[in-house]
Amino acid sequence: MYILHCDNEFPRWREQARQLLMQAIPPHAVVWEEPGYGQLFGNDASLAEPVVRPSPRVPPALLDALALAAQYRVVGRWSLLYRVLWRVTHGERAAMLAGDPDGSELQKRIKAVNREAHHLHAFVRFHPFMGRSGLDYVATHEPAHDVLATASLHFAERLGRQRWLIVSSRDAVWYDGQVLHYRQPCPADWAALAASVKDADDPLWQSYYSSIYNPARLNPKVMQGHMPLRFWAGLLEGRMIPWLVSRTRAGAQRDGQAEAVSAKAGKVIRSPKR
Amino acid sequence: MELIEKLTILADAAKYDASCASSGAPKRSSRGKDGIGATNGMGICHSYTPDGRCVSLLKILLTNFCLYDCQYCVNRRSSDVPRARFTPEEVITLTLDFYQRNYVSGLFLSSGIIQSPDYTMEQLIRVAKVLREEHQFRGYIHLKTIPEADPALIAEAGRFADRLSVNIELPSPESLIRLAPEKEVGSITGAMGTIETASQESRADRRAPKFAPGGQSTQMIVGADASDDSRILHTAEALYGEYRLRRVYYSAFSPIPNSPTSVPMQAPPLLREHRLYQADFLLRGYGFKVRELIGAQGNLPLDIDPKLAWALSNREIFPVDLNLAEPQLIARIPGIGVRSAERIVSLRRLKRIRYDDVVRLRCVIEKAKPFIVTSDYRPRQDAQESGALRQQLSDQPAQMALWG
Repeated sequence: MYILHCDNEFPRWREQARQLLMQAIPPHAVVWEEPGYGQLFGNDASLAEPVVRPSPRVPPALLDALALAAQYRVVGRWSLLYRVLWRVTHGERAAMLAGDPDGSELQKRIKAVNREAHHLHAFVRFHPFMGRSGLDYVATHEPAHDVLATASLHFAERLGRQRWLIVSSRDAVWYDGQVLHYRQPCPADWAALAASVKDADDPLWQSYYSSIYNPARLNPKVMQGHMPLRFWAGLLEGRMIPWLVSRTRAGAQRDGQAEAVSAKAGKVIRSPKR
Repeated sequence: MELIEKLTILADAAKYDASCASSGAPKRSSRGKDGIGATNGMGICHSYTPDGRCVSLLKILLTNFCLYDCQYCVNRRSSDVPRARFTPEEVITLTLDFYQRNYVSGLFLSSGIIQSPDYTMEQLIRVAKVLREEHQFRGYIHLKTIPEADPALIAEAGRFADRLSVNIELPSPESLIRLAPEKEVGSITGAMGTIETASQESRADRRAPKFAPGGQSTQMIVGADASDDSRILHTAEALYGEYRLRRVYYSAFSPIPNSPTSVPMQAPPLLREHRLYQADFLLRGYGFKVRELIGAQGNLPLDIDPKLAWALSNREIFPVDLNLAEPQLIARIPGIGVRSAERIVSLRRLKRIRYDDVVRLRCVIEKAKPFIVTSDYRPRQDAQESGALRQQLSDQPAQMALWG
């Protein structure tokens, strides 16, 4: 049994997997140990010296798929990836497709990772940062998978030359207006910076959110399906939702109008003279 | 009036427009450039409100002062609502601020009609123009088009906006005459035609400036008049065909404060709106024709979705053998979507499709089961009569909600 460590880093795993394939070591003879855990059985046999054999040919689409699936957080994430790699390079192309038992698990992980990247793009909230030069916006966000390093480049496209920082409890990215810097773990001073602005209110956004909501169409189940509860704490509007829902249920507003608007005096416009 | 007060009023006034999509724009990026904003064709929902709707754009009216008296509209001139008006600069500042904080992916700007249709349209264009030219804003812009405005203004709007929309409002010309006395079907479809022509011209010449690359959309209000689903869907089909609309939005009429007696006091069931969207999706994505889904009169069933209804009334086509059938036919099986159909086809190049493969593809197996054949499965229910099958497959009747 080969016991390997890759610190949950794809490039290291990829190099190890290449060596394993070249030495024809099958999936059931390898485990990757979680960072920080010891293995109960088996010896930490390191790989033999690199064998001079032709590198295995791997379709680029498979490599992309493996790199994405590698961001999925689960204990033992690397074994499935090696099994898929082994099977595809041994002629079983179906092993990466959704109809296959391994392929279906691989595709499930890819889907979850893509969804988490999409959640990052949707639910990051940038707070303007005035405190220090070199930084315009700061955000705190907790992705469920390891998507921060690759998916955050999206914000460089959105924000042009603005400089921004996104921290999570695991890692962080800082964009200096030109280059993206990734740190894992998140440096303590970056975390402190983010914590200092995390709870700042934004009355304009909060007013907009309650006004654009139509109380005559209350449907919290659909909302929660699209915007999982775990993100609410990081969103200013997340803290308003229970209040808005309970006001609506208590019959505060029967038609579509926001409470704040119906409380104001109205104005009928006289017929225009033609 | 304070900015926050205007925002409260003018967002409330804009909520009855269902569209909030930020999709369909060409790829744009601000990386390493002056200005901000990006689009990638996909669209992002940055939040959801408790009504289950997506917040993708800052959706506001420039003003809710209005000369028109459309009966279904909360902003009609005879309505007793608080009124406000943004300056173009206020809208620009709000858009840039909301965009940078990542609340939204752009702006959807509409307006009540003030002074004249041309004047109103000019104001809307000014906002988009300054955003694009002075602030180099590359995010999404959707402008509502005032149908009675000069075609030259509509052409100008399309140079700055990703999407333009003209609302058809009601499914029949008679209803429009009765409920929206200042509007005319002729000018609404005329504006749609102007947009389509300008868009064609821009696509024909690659050097021509882009014109509303996200296309045009429209909205129909459901349940403000007596039109049935057949009428609504036939109108939608005609619009899709004639003006190449990207989307028709269906907005269940929402009761408004101080409702006039010409419109109903009660909202139609939201399920009706949902079924219309499902049918619309079948028109756009699956190659269905309206006449396949519904007769010349009547409504879509509420207890089953339109695809299942179609399958139940066309039993002679089923069961379909997943190992042999054309991809288009596989996508017509209830519970199997276009994506799953594609996956089945790529999988069957490698192996025979078995029942478990269909389960693993995460198709809605309970719905698909009576209609498919695989290498190891034939439906037991094949001989079952459609009525009994329908009862078995209908959506569970929702318990009456005690609250809201």
